[in-house]
Amino acid sequence: MENPSSRRPDEVESVFGRALDVIHSALVSYYRLTEEEARGAEEDLFIWFQRLSRRGGAGQMPVKLLRVSLLSAACQYGRSFQLWKLGGEQSADRDLNDILSREPDEVASDLDRRSEEERS
Amino acid sequence: MSGRVLSFPRRPLSSESGLKAAERILSTPIDERTTKARALHLEDPETLLALCGVLRTRLNSSPASVHDEAEFLYRFIESPRREIGLFDERDYFLGETALLAGTACRWLSRREEAWFWFDRAEAGFRHTMNAPGELSRLAYQRLAERLEERQLDLVIELLPSLVESFRKLGMYEDVLKCRFLEGLAHVEQDEPAAAISVFNQICREAEESGHDQLLAEAYVNLIHAHGMLGEANEAIEASRRAIPILKRLDNRIALGKVHWGLGILLREGGHFGEAIESYRKAQEDFEALGMRADIAALNLVVADLLLEQGQDREALREISAALPVIAELKMAPEGMAALSLVRESVRRQEINRQALRELHGYFQELQA
Repeated sequence: MENPSSRRPDEVESVFGRALDVIHSALVSYYRLTEEEARGAEEDLFIWFQRLSRRGGAGQMPVKLLRVSLLSAACQYGRSFQLWKLGGEQSADRDLNDILSREPDEVASDLDRRSEEERS
Repeated sequence: MSGRVLSFPRRPLSSESGLKAAERILSTPIDERTTKARALHLEDPETLLALCGVLRTRLNSSPASVHDEAEFLYRFIESPRREIGLFDERDYFLGETALLAGTACRWLSRREEAWFWFDRAEAGFRHTMNAPGELSRLAYQRLAERLEERQLDLVIELLPSLVESFRKLGMYEDVLKCRFLEGLAHVEQDEPAAAISVFNQICREAEESGHDQLLAEAYVNLIHAHGMLGEANEAIEASRRAIPILKRLDNRIALGKVHWGLGILLREGGHFGEAIESYRKAQEDFEALGMRADIAALNLVVADLLLEQGQDREALREISAALPVIAELKMAPEGMAALSLVRESVRRQEINRQALRELHGYFQELQA
């Protein structure tokens, strides 16, 4: 039986590590998670990302192309978590309400573009 | 303000434990699994990931059992609704198990079922984070099914777009797989020389990139195409290269197709007795895999050869065995007229040779 865990673990870790600053900043600055909540989220995201990279289709793609999916997952996590904390109420924080009203995929694309620009 | 609130499940298994759990599940009878689901870690995403990987590798050796396993997993995840893993993982596993079931149905010529499964796969994959990659794999299976249903114009029209998607996604193995559809479309259009050129290119690229599975399958297609042209040396050389790889990979479907291809070659060379022997071997291979449509198609080919040898009664027996399967599996939507003529001629115990050739001509190239 083929062991799927043998596939590119270093590369996955490396792509995740390079995206971690952006993820952390999105969770804490955009979605207002506490440092502790953000660390928990990052652990879950790492586990999920490792499994994403072993899926039927994603498993064949270069790991770096999965970065946008990772950022989308981070934004979805941050948004869901904050909505759960707010229990259906609006926040007094207008910036937070703005970010929660946006689609996580859209926020992720902005983050990816901005970090690409900073790197180039 | 609204939004889906994510659940935060217990820690999942490691990938190694997931693999062991997958082995345990596959050795547990299907009807016992749901009650033992917790002990078997059946809801664990690592287990499901390992199971899908194993089933994918078994598609070429036991499509019927892959269908049953994939259907069980799909139903298990789908209803009653079970929360699986993190984020989009439930949707992914619904899509992946449906894709596996649909692909197995395609191999087994269970066409209507294949389309139902492909629709279910789309419903799952649409909600995943990496939807383009998974949906492109699904699109490949759909095009392959359309090729088998002889919708060649549509295949030729849509293939370049799919190739482009795979290129953008960096899925180069799938780019190569698309070229198979291109080669097979040439075979369908009775252009074996063009098909040979495509399959030779696939061989070169597959060899360079170390994709043994694709390499061996390209050789199998070369056997058929050279066989159609009566090019014995080239066909035999292709089979000599294909067989050891296929045996190593346990690709029993392709091994059956090797025998089929050699049958074509022997028939083209006028060696009817040996051709029938080779077709029979292919039928044995397909029998073990539950590929009834392929067995029926070969019954017609053998019947034609038996008629050639003046063995009308034996030919009649072959055709009589094939007709119910052809009707049941709706194998000949374009060949209904020929099918009716053959059926009528069987009823009158006097075979309509032209109709028979038309009918088996419809099937034989599909297997290349």
